[in-house]
Amino acid sequence: MSKKITSTCFVRFEKDLCAGRGTCLPVCPTKAIRMKDKKAVWIVEQCIGCGECIRVCRERAVSAASETPEVLNENHIAIALVSPVLYAQFPGVMPKDVLLGLRQMGFQHTIDMSYFLEIFQYATEEFIRRNRKSGQAPWPLISPVCPVVVRLIAFKFPSLLPNVLPVLRPVALMAREVRRRLITEYLDNGQEVVLYYINPCPTKKDPSCLPPRSRPAPAEVSLGINDIYPQLIKHVEQIKAADAIPFYQTRFEYETCATGNASMWGMSGGEIADMDIDRSLAVSGMEETIHYLEKIEMGLFQDIEYIEFRTCREGCLGGVLNAIDKYLAKSAVQKMIKQFGLGKRLHRDNILRMYEKGEFQTDKDPSKLTSLFGARKKALTIENMQKIEKVLQLIKGTDCTACGAPDCRTFAEDVVRGEANLNDCMYILDK
Amino acid sequence: MSRLKKSFHIKARDFIRAGEASINVQNLLKSMDFDPRLIRRVAICGYESEMNVVMHGGDGTLSIEVDDEKLILKIVDDGPGIQDIELAMQAGYSTANDDHREMGFGAGMGLPNMKKNSDRIQIDSPKNQGTMVRMVFFIPEKGITN
Repeated sequence: MSKKITSTCFVRFEKDLCAGRGTCLPVCPTKAIRMKDKKAVWIVEQCIGCGECIRVCRERAVSAASETPEVLNENHIAIALVSPVLYAQFPGVMPKDVLLGLRQMGFQHTIDMSYFLEIFQYATEEFIRRNRKSGQAPWPLISPVCPVVVRLIAFKFPSLLPNVLPVLRPVALMAREVRRRLITEYLDNGQEVVLYYINPCPTKKDPSCLPPRSRPAPAEVSLGINDIYPQLIKHVEQIKAADAIPFYQTRFEYETCATGNASMWGMSGGEIADMDIDRSLAVSGMEETIHYLEKIEMGLFQDIEYIEFRTCREGCLGGVLNAIDKYLAKSAVQKMIKQFGLGKRLHRDNILRMYEKGEFQTDKDPSKLTSLFGARKKALTIENMQKIEKVLQLIKGTDCTACGAPDCRTFAEDVVRGEANLNDCMYILDK
Repeated sequence: MSRLKKSFHIKARDFIRAGEASINVQNLLKSMDFDPRLIRRVAICGYESEMNVVMHGGDGTLSIEVDDEKLILKIVDDGPGIQDIELAMQAGYSTANDDHREMGFGAGMGLPNMKKNSDRIQIDSPKNQGTMVRMVFFIPEKGITN
């Protein structure tokens, strides 16, 4: 039997706020939510952190398992790891001014993730170029950038795990750089360091859900963009009104600036737009993502080399923890690109030298992912399947969700697994 | 031996919903936790055969049969049948028309792909009596796998 508690590693649930309307049931792509006694309940190990339940809950009973920025204080070195989606929340404001605002909020360092997205882009191009000859991985390769997509594959499409590009994700490259070079001095001096991930979605796991680390490591906190927005916009407005504010002295390029390419990353298609690959696709939205993965599993799209998937519509700009509407944000990005153009900061040659040394390949075994997110419920036997068919014949099959399951098929499965009672079905009761 | 059988309808020339029957088969096999590689092979065969019915055949059904040793994927339609099965089994041979090719189909790999991905394949297509393709997939470590 699966364990049922009220919060997962990705979302926090406040039972008292739940009105029991059940709007979250059918939107969950892994069918991880049930209604018990008119309140939502999560099957914790089935949550992949997509945030769709947060999106539809009018009562705001579901939120990200992130923390509020009040934890910022002077006792530790606070480092902001910034998703480029943040810049799009401030139309007409330069990315560097957004980073400056974060400094004024109390972050000692601001790390622009798009710098590492550029590294990732070069490494991806190189992997694809080599794969044309070696055939090491099957086509189409699937972008590993959206972690929800990777978990969805591990959970629902394990046969496609070999298609996931085995290059370290930008966020992993960023965290590695920060650990290797930026914070060592502080740690050597015995200072406490906290890494704050500023994200458009609830997909970063609550650290308490992670296995304990063998080496001492800085604490990690996840913040939603909407968590810091109210405070940050005050600083940004002031900076905008001021004539010229010199930026803080920084040691590394990724602490200050961002390029046109950076803001583009938040849009669907932003990852592949400036990549040197002929045959690539960008797909966004949960439904479309699932549909395309189904098609790949049936052998389609083998003539495509790379597919960028984002489970949020319009890409990360559509993330559920953003502060402004995705279409407004998109328009802001487009204006920014029109004004300042696109551009990269890094040189391909430098990245290729690092590629030679194996700096970007993941050593993660995809089958481990399956055990994290794939292995959950006991497999159904032929007898189970026959019983499910019988239950389905008894009930009406309108997917009314009154029983507390997201659809009739899931309800029938729950009944056969002994996790639900046939009499929970309204139609059976009426008879 | 216990056995499970499920059938799904396929409508000829319905390109928009083409693939749905195979997706249903995929989902059924996934809930029974078969080896992902086996599911992939069945999925590819299911889709190829479903597309054949959509493009060339009449209305039909795709059915999956599961027992302890094997999976049987069977596709039956009431179309015109396959004129020359031996020719159709050759890679690259296709009777697709321009419309099909414009949609990206008709590479002549349908039957060869099905043969490659299944353990046994049987095709019956008497003239004007429809077509039946039956593919067997042995379940690894349970049945014969050669």
